Amino acid sequence: MEMQKTKYVAINVFLIFHIVAIACWSFPIDSPLVTLLNDQTRAYFRWSGLFQGWNMFSPLPKSANTYVEATIVHQDGTKTTWTFPRMEQLTLTQRVFKERYRKFAEDLAREENDGLLPDVARHIARLNSTPSNPAKTVILIQKWSFIVARPDGSYVPEPWDQHVLLGYGVKPEDLK
Amino acid sequence: MKVRSLWDWWNRFFFKPESPIPISLFRVLYGTMVIATLVLLRPDWMAWYGPHAWVSLSTMHQLEGGTRLNLLAVIPQTDAWIETFFWIFLGSAVLLTVGFLTRFNSVLVYLCLASIQQRNLYITHGGDTFLRVAGFFLIFAPAGAAFSVDRLIRIWRGKEGVDIAPRPPWAQRMIQLELSLMYFATFCWKVKGAPWLQGTAMFYIYHLDEFRRFPVPSWLLGPMMLKLESWAVLVLELSLGVLIWVKAFRYKLLVLGLLLHLCLEYSLNIPMFQWDILSAYVLFIDAADLRRAWGWIRNRRALSET
Repeated sequence: MEMQKTKYVAINVFLIFHIVAIACWSFPIDSPLVTLLNDQTRAYFRWSGLFQGWNMFSPLPKSANTYVEATIVHQDGTKTTWTFPRMEQLTLTQRVFKERYRKFAEDLAREENDGLLPDVARHIARLNSTPSNPAKTVILIQKWSFIVARPDGSYVPEPWDQHVLLGYGVKPEDLK
Repeated sequence: MKVRSLWDWWNRFFFKPESPIPISLFRVLYGTMVIATLVLLRPDWMAWYGPHAWVSLSTMHQLEGGTRLNLLAVIPQTDAWIETFFWIFLGSAVLLTVGFLTRFNSVLVYLCLASIQQRNLYITHGGDTFLRVAGFFLIFAPAGAAFSVDRLIRIWRGKEGVDIAPRPPWAQRMIQLELSLMYFATFCWKVKGAPWLQGTAMFYIYHLDEFRRFPVPSWLLGPMMLKLESWAVLVLELSLGVLIWVKAFRYKLLVLGLLLHLCLEYSLNIPMFQWDILSAYVLFIDAADLRRAWGWIRNRRALSET
């Protein structure tokens, strides 16, 4: 069965547009033309959900073990620690279900995602509050240990270092 | 003359009718991957997407601006509505897998999948991205032409015979292109990084505690082996991105790609990623070979029963 001419033309336009736009979106090409094309197609890609990036473990694989924990100061002055699920401490089955927390904690520590931190602090406050002893302050801390190869190629874990991502004063409305 | 032959090639590549068996089989695998993704997310549906999720809807709008296809942003923000959304999504994924109202369910599954990823972009991995973009092109494919309830209904109503009519494969080609582009793009990103070129990248990856799944044999962790493994990944990703289109290399590369992903599945904990990608390998297998494989399985089964 012959395809209708208008349908054929429409499909070709669709194909050419998507192939060019997806290629420009995906490859690390440093060119003004590619930047221009990406600017022109960004709104459509965001809307349609066709945005994509394929830089898995690249250009630089992560070179430190990291995790994020929170110190919670309660109204009565006591302190507790809450840690995002750490895959290496979970069973094989738990890891399959909780892996999204690893990705989330990794993204949290990126500077460009600072805007997420207050939401996360509020969520942790809700998880760690009781009506009689609500959370008063949440301090989000990232811990890391660099992965360094010894001269013989072996690996011995480096000491853990840390820095504060956010200190958040919990408001009563945050706990609702 | 060259433009003419290029145009002929383009027409053959995208429009010369082909058996829809590979794309139909992909639909079954794709639906299964979506179901598995939803089941694995099930304990945390509310934690990630609920009214009191880790990231609020307003924060998501602030950080990731622009108009987006996101059903979760338009439904009321209550537990009941969001639970209902997920059950409809899961039901639609099951119907897509069995091929009932295939086109409608491919649209619905895409809308729902795009919605959950748009609702929280900070928990998605490459496999999720691949499912999303492949799902977009699946909408346009004759994915219900085989292995589907829709086909059984068409046969029962006398609208279709036993033979499956060939169809223009342009939507299937787009998913194939996405897969090969994914490999080629990741190769291009990797060669921009010194650890991949120096051959030390796998050292870091193997020592990321959070990714570790099963123990990697120690002989694979020596400096020379790590170099070979890092470079082998580069060579394989480049080959899967480019040479997969050369028929003479295709099946050999698919086997090597399968081995690569099985090794990654063994050593790294990135649930569903490898299977999401591998599901699209079926699109590179000739329908005639799929029929032969199916015939072989049936013969083996018949023999074992007698």
